This record gives sequence, C-alpha cells and structure tokens, in this order.
Amino acid sequence: MNKLKLEILTPNGVIYNGNALSVTLPGEEGEFGVLAEHSCLTTLLEAGVVDVEKEDKSVESILISWGVVQVDEEKVIVLVEGAVAIRGETESAISKALEDAKKLIKSIKQDSSAIATVMAKLESAAQNLL
Amino acid sequence: MANLKDIQRQIKSVTNTQKTTRAMKLVSTAKLRRAEELAKRSRLYAAKMNQVIAEIAGRIKCNKIGGLDNRCFIEIEDPKTVDIVFVTADKGLCGGFNIQTIKAVKKLLAEYKAKNVKVRLRGIGKKGIEFFKYNEVELFDSVANLSSNPDKNNSDDFIISSIEDFKDGKIDALHMVYNGYKNMITQELHVNKVLPVDSSQFKCDEPEKSMLEVESQDEEKMLDSLVNRYVQYAMYYALIDSVAAEHSARMQAMDAATNNAKDMVKSLNVQFNKARQAAITTELIEIISGVESMK
Repeated sequence: MNKLKLEILTPNGVIYNGNALSVTLPGEEGEFGVLAEHSCLTTLLEAGVVDVEKEDKSVESILISWGVVQVDEEKVIVLVEGAVAIRGETESAISKALEDAKKLIKSIKQDSSAIATVMAKLESAAQNLL
Repeated sequence: MANLKDIQRQIKSVTNTQKTTRAMKLVSTAKLRRAEELAKRSRLYAAKMNQVIAEIAGRIKCNKIGGLDNRCFIEIEDPKTVDIVFVTADKGLCGGFNIQTIKAVKKLLAEYKAKNVKVRLRGIGKKGIEFFKYNEVELFDSVANLSSNPDKNNSDDFIISSIEDFKDGKIDALHMVYNGYKNMITQELHVNKVLPVDSSQFKCDEPEKSMLEVESQDEEKMLDSLVNRYVQYAMYYALIDSVAAEHSARMQAMDAATNNAKDMVKSLNVQFNKARQAAITTELIEIISGVESMK
C-alpha cells in the first residue's frame, strides 16, 4: 500500500510530520478519509478529531480546532489553529493529553453534545493506546 | 585643562548611564529569548499558510479552478486606494529599528503618490504613529501598545476592517511593512503585499497537476473565511516577528552603548589622571619656590 506524506502544523509548532497510510479529517461538510494519491483538494476543517493511520497500522488521534487542509498527489498539509495529540508513553502522559484536549474543545464549542462526541472518541483512542 | 571635580562628576554620570544601558541589554536579552521562541515556532506555520494561499491564487490565475473570481486572488491593474499597515515599536532606544520601517513606508507612500493612488496609513506602535503625526501625515487608523504585547484577538480586530474594506472594494491592495527577526544580530525589513494574494511566482506552464477541487458547497464562503484567517495570521505573525526583531535590535543598541560608555570612562580617567598630575606638579613647584625664596 502506498504511503502519503502528512504534515500537521499549528502556530505553536509541528504536531505530526511523517508518512502515514491514511488520514481521516473532520471536514466542514463531514468527515472524509484521504489515502495516498488522492486528487488535489483544498477544504476547511472544523473542530474535531483527526485520525492518522501510521505506517505500523497504529492509529493516532489528534484533536484540532479550526483548520484548512491541502491535499495533492504527493502530500497532505493540515494547518490548524490549535491541536492536541493524544499520545504518550505512560498513562499519566496520556491522561494529561486528554485533559488538555478537553480544555481546547470546551474553549471552541458550546454545544455539550458535540463536546461529548469528541471526548468519547478521544477517550476510546486513549484506551487503545494503553 | 578641565577642573578635577568636573571630570570626576562626568565619570560618575557616564558610569551611571553605563549601568542603565547594561541593565536594558540584559532585559532585552531575556525578552528576546521568549519572543524568538514564539516567532520560530510560528514561522513554519506562516510559511505553509502562505504557500497554500499562493497555490490557490496561482491556480485561480491559471484558470485551473472552476470559474471562481474571488477579488482577493486576482491582481488589480490600477489600484485607486490602498492600505498600508506598518508595525513599529512602542519604545525607542533600539537603533535604526523604527527608522528603517518608517523609511520603507515613506518610500511606498511616495511611489503611490506618484501614481495618484490614495493611501490609507494604518499604524501599529507608538514610535511610527508619533513620527507621522509630527510630520503631519494623516493616519487613517492607529493603535498603540499592540506591538509590545502582541495579542491574537486584538490584532484580529485591528486587521479585520481592512479585509472587509478590501472585499467591499473600498481598497484595492493591502500592504504590511514591518521589521522582522532574522537572527540575533540582523533584522530583516519586510514589505509584503498581503491582498490581493501574490501569485506572480506561480507559472502557468508548470507540469500539470490535477485540477484543484474546492470541496465545499459554497466555495466563495470557504475562500472568504480562508482569506480572513490568512490575513489575520499574517498580521499576528508580523507582530510577533517584529517584537523579536525589536528586542534583538535593542539588545545590540544597548550593547554598543555600554561599550561606548566604557571607552568614554577610560578616556575620562586618563584625562583625570593627567589633571591630577598637573595639580600635584604645580603644588610642588609652589612649595619648592617658597622654600627657595626663604633661603
């Protein structure tokens, strides 16, 4: 299976830079997945969860606030204003990331059901890591 | 030869100045570290954002995008009114930092004036505002205290009116002039044309990539909100880059001032010693001649 080059950038630095098998993005019109050699596409992203399927098939979840994605045949560039990656070696690091994610999502969304959906997704992602 | 007391007083005053400049240098060094970190982290994001936007502009120019004619992406042939946003420091004592920006603004002003284009100046930072007020150049809008503490919300609020005016056709171009950080000892002056997005480096005869799709029901709306974010971020980035540059410029200026003070104290000390020696010699001669006359 082909790999795609993925870059996720925030004003505070690089969140992800490397190869991935696929990436699922929360587009404004709904969630969509991108595989290698996707046709060119530019679209806006809304607050939600980005799932990156890495080369070793593990999935990393990253919470993002507003963003824009540019896809072309070679690479996928995701520019987001704020992001928290759910990753870490230890349980405490992961739970800290979850805390940060909660703070971020609460600051952008008022709708409690939307917050709950996103948090449920992130928590299940965190469960898988442990 | 100057009086001993006078020289002593002068030495003291120069030493005090030296203390102040040294303290200012230390403060700037500490602040620079923080500002530099922030600017460095944002640099990549800002560069990619520019790239994404430029690519969209390029594709619109080359008609590789389905029938879009957003004003923000199309080169305007003869502008009638333009906005120039400049960023200077709120404080002085930083060498040529503010003057460089002001000079660039003046040059741009003169260029537009020659073409009979109306220019609206929007200033950030006390020093630049004071300069143009003193020279009786009209400022359309100005804000102080933003350049010393860049704040995303305030900078967004400031620039949004320019974006709106551009979209409404009240202005035909938006320039940003600021002094950016290059490294510890150099600042780089940026004169950026933010709107309409510059697509000149994009060549239409490049090997064809697939057609760009804008995945949205309402493409105009999507581009609009993208442009807003892009310009707002460009503004914010200009501010943080300018703060880092300001601190590095001040650090340098204060370092030079401290060194100059040091040299001055040195030469004053030589002068003081000479004067002291002369006084001793005169006194000795007086005593000896007094003794001689008593013989």
